[in-house]
Amino acid sequence: MAKLLDLSIDFCDVKFPNPVLLSSSPVSNTAEMIGRAFEYGFGGVAYKTLGFDNIKIIHPSPRMAGYTYGSNNLIGLQNVEQITDRPLQDNLMDIEYLKKHWSNHVVIASIMGFSEEEWIELAKMAAGSGADILELNFSCPHMTVEGSGMKVGQSFGLIEKFTSTVRNVVDIPILAKMTPNITDITEPALSAKKGGADGLTAINTVRALTEIGLDDNVPKPNVAGIGAMSGYSGPAIKPIGLRCVTELAQCTDLNLPIAGCGGIETWVDTTEYLLCGASLVQITTGVVHYGYRIVEDILEGLSYYMEEKGFKSISEIVGKALPNIQPTDRFDLSRQGVGEYDLDRCVGCGQCYIVCQDAGGQCIDWDYDKRRPVHDEEKCLGCMICSFICPVSDPPLISYREVKNKKSVIPPVSE
Amino acid sequence: MEPCFTPDQAYAEAGRCLLCFDAPCSKGCPAGTDPGTFIRKLRLRNIKGAIATVKNNNILGGICGILCPVSGLCEKECAATPIDRPIQIGRVQRFLIEHGRKLKFNPLEKKEPNNINIAIIGCGPSGLSCAAELAKEGFSVDIFEKKPKPGGVMRYLIPDHRLSKEFLNEELKDISSLGVNIRYKSPVESGEELEKLLKEGYRAVYIATGTWGMKSLGLASVYKGFYNAKEFLEKCKSTEKPDMKKIISGKRVCVIGGGDTAIDAAESALILDAKDVSIVYRRSFAQMPGDENGKIEALKSGINFLILTQPVKYLTNGGRITGIEAVRNKLGTSDTSGRPRPVPISGSSHIISTDIIIEAIGFGPEDDSKMLFEKFKLSEKGLILVDEKTGTTSKKSFYAGGDITRGPSLIPEAVADGKRAAKAILEDMELS
Repeated sequence: MAKLLDLSIDFCDVKFPNPVLLSSSPVSNTAEMIGRAFEYGFGGVAYKTLGFDNIKIIHPSPRMAGYTYGSNNLIGLQNVEQITDRPLQDNLMDIEYLKKHWSNHVVIASIMGFSEEEWIELAKMAAGSGADILELNFSCPHMTVEGSGMKVGQSFGLIEKFTSTVRNVVDIPILAKMTPNITDITEPALSAKKGGADGLTAINTVRALTEIGLDDNVPKPNVAGIGAMSGYSGPAIKPIGLRCVTELAQCTDLNLPIAGCGGIETWVDTTEYLLCGASLVQITTGVVHYGYRIVEDILEGLSYYMEEKGFKSISEIVGKALPNIQPTDRFDLSRQGVGEYDLDRCVGCGQCYIVCQDAGGQCIDWDYDKRRPVHDEEKCLGCMICSFICPVSDPPLISYREVKNKKSVIPPVSE
Repeated sequence: MEPCFTPDQAYAEAGRCLLCFDAPCSKGCPAGTDPGTFIRKLRLRNIKGAIATVKNNNILGGICGILCPVSGLCEKECAATPIDRPIQIGRVQRFLIEHGRKLKFNPLEKKEPNNINIAIIGCGPSGLSCAAELAKEGFSVDIFEKKPKPGGVMRYLIPDHRLSKEFLNEELKDISSLGVNIRYKSPVESGEELEKLLKEGYRAVYIATGTWGMKSLGLASVYKGFYNAKEFLEKCKSTEKPDMKKIISGKRVCVIGGGDTAIDAAESALILDAKDVSIVYRRSFAQMPGDENGKIEALKSGINFLILTQPVKYLTNGGRITGIEAVRNKLGTSDTSGRPRPVPISGSSHIISTDIIIEAIGFGPEDDSKMLFEKFKLSEKGLILVDEKTGTTSKKSFYAGGDITRGPSLIPEAVADGKRAAKAILEDMELS
């Protein structure tokens, strides 16, 4: 790995060597796995959610389905995996082992109780094994056990109750992990705060159906003829994650530090989460796709970005985009523009013509002989859809240009 | 044959397509196979629609996917080239046809019989294309074929390593399924026999006999070790292949010529374990008329290219070839073909030792074709003159296409001619 700038950050008064963590999931299942992730460079882990042994956890088979778009594998991942299926004692020993061997790295113990007593005991045992932080799993969207996971996260009274239950028995910081499967994510977050949470993790997976088998009519993953609405993750949900993190970060009543997750694979994704107000990021699907090695590129990329932009620490990046994210009624509608074409580099595919005709403002005509678009700036709506499908990039052949005092374009009535 | 794309590879290739408006690749296909449409259909996962597009536009779509020199046709027009590389259209096309076979999906539809009989002379690509088009329209089609099996050059000349018999047979099954009747070993040998077809009730005749005559440098009589390419390739495709292997194995082989046939012959000799294979060509590499990719592949396979080399005499010992006396050429001013003329360099005479000579310097009409077509207007080269738009000949009710009208040319062009004549016949019968 290249020599990095200082990427450390304080979060809930705990010092993290860098802001990139494994999220609580199959990628953080054992100390052996997590130790390897630390070697690759992860700064911490949210350990796979602990539960009591009295409720036997059996993972459905198969437990995941990858979602492919075109030639892109795993743009999304649907899973029905449950919390840990390992004995509680084994997990606690693993947490202890990790803290002993990786004292600079942060171990967050994710827990899920199925009763108040269980929340209490799990919290105490996890803290006792040396975990730096607790993460309360209020958000798994596909628990097979009644009254757990997302069901709690959608009922604000329970969030507050269980958070305060845990608050009363441990001194270490508590994070509440939030579900996006809700109308306004700030409401349950405020309940968690009332209960005594020190920070938030957002988002857990999005409840979804990704694919339905056309021959058997069963959604994937197909568990012996049955599918289920369950957790969807990966690059496809990054936009939802960014939205939720921003909503939490902009909520002034909340004012809690946030660990962001949802579709992070690269330093660019990481930086976007930081800019939207996350102080840490957590990753699973990126690791499912590429392995722990991706952290090297995230850390290097982040370090080069900071160097380029003159940031001295990660905390300087956190929330930088928030002032620019506002309700749509704040737009200055007097400022309008058009697409600008650099036709010297045009390859003549004509996709801009097709989409402008069928989805835009019909401002492009087609020169059949030269195989080039003929763009009429006066008629151009500046919608820019032509630029989305233009295959010529670096820099884009079609760019946006503001036009002073541009007349608005209203399509006429058909004659 | 190189392996076919897997579905994932084909989808990935379609995924690179720019989905052009007024697709230039489609304009680059002589046979009108319309890659712009079938690739879009594949991209949008309408795979059966894509297969149907190829099949309905080009009855030999699979074979064209394999044999077409695409880098000079559809792929040459590909708009993705300046920013990436051309879509591998030929390979996608072949995939669709093979995939259709796996799905047992036959999109060909046939109209009600119209009880009009049409005769076709020659069961090569052009005759087959015309037959399929007419059969789809409800015509009753009889093909008269001199040889014992269908396919013409595709069966008798194209080497197995480029097109397997199994692939050809599969492709021809679809034509049989349309009810086309093929009469094997049924040559039409004279002008009278041609005329007689009309009297026998055929309302139109499509002539697609091809050009099976071989040009010659005239340096050889009957020597052991001397072949013309047609004879050599035909033997390699027949039951005589094991005998050819005995003859060629371990020998030095020189192939004279620079076209696709020369490359086919050279590669076939290499496959028969020749010790050393050379292509002897009188101009330079750039002027060789063979397909660019074929030339590069031949180079890669270890075939020598003795360019700017002009044979002047074949050397023999006891009636057996021992070598070639040749001179070196330089490139002069352009000739009528637009290529630089080869000009011999004086004093450059030298000897190339070889055991086998295969001449591949071009095909032309067979010697007896002048008699067969005596009533038709012919070109100087003895090719049948036809109307460019319809394929009609100087004689009413006779149409022609393929190599016998163009001279040696590409399979998609032969397919196009067959389609063109079928359309004209349909119009002339006032059925369209």
